[in-house]
Order: sequence, then C-alpha cells, then structure tokens
Amino acid sequence: MKVERLIRYLAFSLFVVAAGEGTSAAAEEKPSTVAERYQALLKEFQGTSYAYFQATNDTERQAIVARVDSATTKCLELVEKNPSDPIALDALTYVVTQEYWLNTHTTHPGWGAESRQARAIALLLRDHVESDKLAETCKRVHFGFRQECETFLRTVLEKNPHREVQGTACLRLAQFLANRVERLDLLKDQPDLAKRYDTLYGKDYMDALKRQDRAEVIREAESFYERAIAKYGDVRVPQYSSTAGKQAEIELFEIRHLAIGKVAPEIEGEDQDGKQFKLSDYRGKVVLLYFWSEY
Amino acid sequence: MKNLAEKPFALIGVHGNDYTPQKLKAVMEKEKLNWRSFADHRVITSKWASRGTPTYYIIDHKGVIRFRWSGYPGAKAIDDALEKLITAAEAQGGR
Repeated sequence: MKVERLIRYLAFSLFVVAAGEGTSAAAEEKPSTVAERYQALLKEFQGTSYAYFQATNDTERQAIVARVDSATTKCLELVEKNPSDPIALDALTYVVTQEYWLNTHTTHPGWGAESRQARAIALLLRDHVESDKLAETCKRVHFGFRQECETFLRTVLEKNPHREVQGTACLRLAQFLANRVERLDLLKDQPDLAKRYDTLYGKDYMDALKRQDRAEVIREAESFYERAIAKYGDVRVPQYSSTAGKQAEIELFEIRHLAIGKVAPEIEGEDQDGKQFKLSDYRGKVVLLYFWSEY
Repeated sequence: MKNLAEKPFALIGVHGNDYTPQKLKAVMEKEKLNWRSFADHRVITSKWASRGTPTYYIIDHKGVIRFRWSGYPGAKAIDDALEKLITAAEAQGGR
C-alpha cells in the first residue's frame, strides 16, 4: 500500500514538473504582457523575507538572496524597457524595497555603483515626480540610506503639485535625515557594520556624511518636522492612523527630549498596586525602562 | 539577565495597553512578572515608544538617556550596556 502511494505520488510530481515545463515553453512562444511578467516577478518575492528568517543554513539563505537579486534586476529591466506601463511606479517602488531588504537583512554583497535602487530612483525622478500616488514610494525610499533617497524626497516635496503628497514627503524627509544621523551614530561602535556600509554605499559618500555637522543636520530635520506641523497638519499619512502633523509632533518631541544624551523627561503615574511614583525616584540608579504591551 | 539585586539598578516597565492598575497586576501575577510597572493608559507610550513596543531605554545614574532600542536588541546588547553603566555608577558612589 505504501509503495503504491509512493508511486502515485511520484507519478503526480512528474506530471506537475512536465506541466510546468509545458507552460513555460508556451510562454516563450507567446510573450506575456508587462503586467503578467510583473505579477510573475512579484511571486518570486513573495514570502522571501520570512523564508530567509526561517532558513536553517547558509545554502538555503544564499538561494533566497540569489532569487531576490535576480528578480529585483528583472523587475528594474522590465520598467526600463516599458517605462510608461501602468505597473512602472509600483515595480520601481518594489526595486527600492528589495534592495533595502538585501542590504540590511542579508549578506548580499551589494551592487555598488550598479545599485538597482539608485537606478530605480533615477526613473522615479524622471517619470513620476508629479504623481498623486507617491505615499508608499516615499515611505519605501525614506528607509533607504543613499544620497538618491534624500534627493528623491526633496524633489517630491518641491515639485509635486498634490498637497497630500507634499505633506508625506515633508514628514518622510525629516525622518530620513534623523534616521541617517542615528545610523551613523550606531556605526561608531560597530566597525564591521561600518565596513559593510562603505561597500554598500561607497566610501566617499560615507566619509562625506561623517564630515557633516551633526547638530546642523538635526536642526534641518527639525525644520522639516516643523513645516509638516505648520503646513500639512491635517494631511493624512496612509501608513499612520494619524496626520503628518500629529506624527511630526511625536517625532519632534523624540528628537528634542528622548535622544541619546538628553536628560530623561519625567514620567509620573501609578504602578500595578495603584501607588503613585516617578521615574526620577530612581535617580542614582541605572534604569532599564521597558515599554511593553500584550497583543 | 544577570543578578543585579545588589547593584544600583532598577528595571521599570511601562505597560502600553489601556489597563487599570488592578488589571495590570492580575496580568503580571499570571505571567509571574516581578518588576514595577507604570499602568500607562497609552499616554507615555505614545510619546516614548512611537515606533511600537517593545522599546527599551537605558538611563544612567544621573538621569541621562544613554541607550535606546526600538525592537528587542538581544540580551547581550542590554547586558553589556547595563554592565558598563552600573560599573560607572558604582565608581561614583551610586546606590
């Protein structure tokens, strides 16, 4: 019985393989549409980040990295050949996201001067700066680290005619500048990571960033937060359940009062026994302050 | 985490759900959590942990923020940071 089941299983899997080959041969004969090819690439990306996290050895991890590397490149090339196709904006945003993931979460060596992200952003700047659908793109770009990301956000803020998009770009630009300073700070204690950043983003760029006046950059980030509050206070940012103004207020407080090196603001409240207490009661001790919740 | 009972150190929680102290106490007893925690009603958390929980701060004996992580940074990162700061606090007569 067991053997019979095994044979049936084998026969079935052979059939599947054969069927798979059949369709791909057919696809070559009749070129699929840009949208279809894009959908196929999206399938390549699907679940990769979770699979990478679950992988138990380097061979598995390398296979996933190679798959994302190849799909990212194909995705970019698809748009380069079909820049006016409706999928172009979405596909370019995907390229930006995938390179970010490869750089920060995997051991991918990086593309150096051939950065797919940089090429994608060049196309975004050329073809999509005035689009009204840039909220997701601004979010994805702001996670990045390279100069092109900054340029993109600044250009959208300046040239995009839609107030909603301007508000998002303004908030994201402030976040980008603040995040970049934060990451530069972390690199000081992590020589291995600093070396990786040199390879990923270029030593010249990293050196230039290290030379910049830290306080000046923070002031500029603050000024974009202030502008988000003043000019775009009511603009809803899709990725937050609030407005650009509200989010900017929170982050401005964070930069001014909760950054490393600042005296911790007072916290007052009740403990689990209903007893009133203050954070400053613990002055003289080292405090690990742990924000937690249940899900 | 290492034994820090005799050291100039305190672990303080800020609980981000909208719980009364009574409900928080029940949850903590059930989970056998023994640290002192602010029952926050989300007010402090929305400012201090705007990127979500868990968020960790390490504050030195003078009240200055020295480390901050959004998301769990691993036990070693926390232990190393605490050890460095506790040693400094002890050297300066912290209790």
